[in-house]
Amino acid sequence: MPGKVAIVAVAQNAGAESKDNFYDQAYVVTKEVLDKVGLNRDDLGTIVSASSDIYHGGISCANSYYWETTGGFLKNASRQDGESLFAFFYGVMRILTGYYDSALIIALCKGSENPENDACTLMYTDPFYTRGIGLQETMAAAFQMRLYMERYGITEEQCAKVAVKNLGNSLGNPYAHRKGRYTVEDILYSERIIDPLTAMQVAPKSEGIVAVLLASEEKAKELTDKPVWFKGYGSSLDNYYLGDRDLLDGQLKNAAARAYKMAGISDPRKEIDLAEITEPYAFQELMWYEDLGFCPKGEGGRLLDSGVTQKNGDLPVNPSGGVLANNPYVSRGLQRVVEATLQLRGEAGERQVDREVRTALAHGTHGFAGQCHAVAILGS
Amino acid sequence: MGRPVAIIGVGQTNHGRRMDVCYPDLVREAVVRVYEETGLNPDDIDGVVSGTMPSMMEGVALTHFYFADAMKAGGKPILKTETCGSTGVSIAHTAYYWISSGMADLILAVGHEKMNEGDSQATMTTVAEPFYQRYFIAGAPGVFSMQSQMWSVRYGLEEEKVRDAAAFISVTHHDSAFDNPYAHIKMQVTMEDVKTSRVITYPVRLLDVCPNSDGACAVLFASDKMVKKLGLDKVAWVKGVGYRGEEYYFGDSDKAVWQSAVEAARQAYDMAGIKDPRKELDVAEVYNPFTFQEMMFYECFGFCGLGEAPDLVLKGTFARNGELPCDPSGGTLCTNPIGATGLIRTAEAALQVMGKAGDHQIPGAKTALSHAMGGVDQFNGIMIVGSEL
Repeated sequence: MPGKVAIVAVAQNAGAESKDNFYDQAYVVTKEVLDKVGLNRDDLGTIVSASSDIYHGGISCANSYYWETTGGFLKNASRQDGESLFAFFYGVMRILTGYYDSALIIALCKGSENPENDACTLMYTDPFYTRGIGLQETMAAAFQMRLYMERYGITEEQCAKVAVKNLGNSLGNPYAHRKGRYTVEDILYSERIIDPLTAMQVAPKSEGIVAVLLASEEKAKELTDKPVWFKGYGSSLDNYYLGDRDLLDGQLKNAAARAYKMAGISDPRKEIDLAEITEPYAFQELMWYEDLGFCPKGEGGRLLDSGVTQKNGDLPVNPSGGVLANNPYVSRGLQRVVEATLQLRGEAGERQVDREVRTALAHGTHGFAGQCHAVAILGS
Repeated sequence: MGRPVAIIGVGQTNHGRRMDVCYPDLVREAVVRVYEETGLNPDDIDGVVSGTMPSMMEGVALTHFYFADAMKAGGKPILKTETCGSTGVSIAHTAYYWISSGMADLILAVGHEKMNEGDSQATMTTVAEPFYQRYFIAGAPGVFSMQSQMWSVRYGLEEEKVRDAAAFISVTHHDSAFDNPYAHIKMQVTMEDVKTSRVITYPVRLLDVCPNSDGACAVLFASDKMVKKLGLDKVAWVKGVGYRGEEYYFGDSDKAVWQSAVEAARQAYDMAGIKDPRKELDVAEVYNPFTFQEMMFYECFGFCGLGEAPDLVLKGTFARNGELPCDPSGGTLCTNPIGATGLIRTAEAALQVMGKAGDHQIPGAKTALSHAMGGVDQFNGIMIVGSEL
């Protein structure tokens, strides 16, 4: 690794629908993250935002709109589309070149101003072959879930238990959009959206303006006595057509391998203390356990059953409630970084896990059946 | 600071109205060409950066999904950079920072747009928010025409002279496009043709305006270590990078002295150690969708003083055989697939300093500036390349 980059502050807004306008929400979060370390906008180096025009309330070229309210006036700022972990990594890169000693990473997605998520994901399809059949992300996930259950003997109950765990965890998260004590039956007998997926196993559509302030090693020492260090990052993109892919043999293991290599991790199950992962569909959390190397292939259900990934387990996964609890589509990857940072700093409040956290993983995915994955490793 | 980064190869589509190919095939054409040009293949690449204007211009969102195969990006790390019209140059910046940070040695940058499959002006109107600005901003020409009027009035420029200078730019760029095998519009135009062409938004006329093009551009960026490993001698080193953005609401800013353009250029010049751009640059690829605006850029980039551009244009200072040739490729005025356009500027600047620009080569070009603009007249990005490290 060429140098060190630290997270020095984080901020986010609540996921439930808000009548506050976009500009104000973005301003409040931007101001909060800078104020937390007493950094003046004039002293801020660069900004990388994440947003997607399709999830931006009908305004194209999204970052034109929020340029000033996120501190961009006469700054060298840029933007990433689709996945906010891209923006996180781009900010790290900008600091590592030595031109900037601080970077604001901000992801913006105001769910309440957007149509249903799948009205947007339908627009990922090509207009000729797949749009006409109405393919969208939830449908692709349903294919994947069916295949996963058949190939590895995963049960619907095991998938539902992910939702029970995460929605229970989110009771401790003041920012979470959806929360509650549910039983496996509650989850399984909620409305069947696209078989075998039921409503409670599908992430909601949430508000999410999420900010992370990065700093160089030297600057971090000035700004905070609790830096969280960037340790590694990896991403990988899969081919486009579902028929060209094995939906159970995706790109997450490649993305994770790249991140682990950078962070010097050889045994993720032992070396990672906590994971915040993106599971827009409950069963995917089980699949991602396997691809992240937390358990062998096909054993995600068993790992969950063992209790290891519970909030009080040895490897807590999504103590915040994850994406099933809070799903601002583009911002959700960076929100995982925020949650992992709070855990590493011991500042997660009611959702702070029992075990000591020294190394944490944040994961983001977007696209049909996980077409793209990104993984970041953070350490105290 | 950072590690040195070079452009080692360029692939462009034959830009134009490409109804013979679908959008992914258009992207594929540019990507295949850059691999053919460099003799490298996708296995050698550490990552891919792609980008476009609002994806919905062609009705497909998050296009990195759609083009995963065409970009040969399956199994690769990916970034997706979008900054409206300046997307192309922002893609180049992303590739630069990726390598300069030490996180990669070889990055493929791809910009693309297939504007004939959508309604570009309708799409651009949606860049304006729906409550206050959208009613007044009918696509791009409305904003840019207001800006050129503001500039003429501010410096007391004689209307006829400005009109002549803009027409001169149109004539010379259209001539240059004949020497660029990839250019879209290839037509002979006279000063009279430009000045009598249909008014789009006064004072801008049809021949002052860029076309809607289909096109893609793919550029390979490499670390100094990789340049040495591959034994390359003709490369374009990145010397300066600058980017700035200003107010979203059109009325909040002074567009006659375009702060983001001035400051973006200053950042790039500082990094490249350039003090007198007109002397030290050998060629510039300025993003010029509108002739009038090109003159404002000359001034903001310090090629001449404020309000001086029309006189110098008419003297031929910025023509192909002038002191600082601008847009010898024909520029955006003759080819504008928006998401690719900024990257084409950088690619053309790189070809010039590598001595590979063919019939539109500026002899002996060693240092070249490339530029793109975007947002509601809001963003400016610069990349300067040179033949020497």
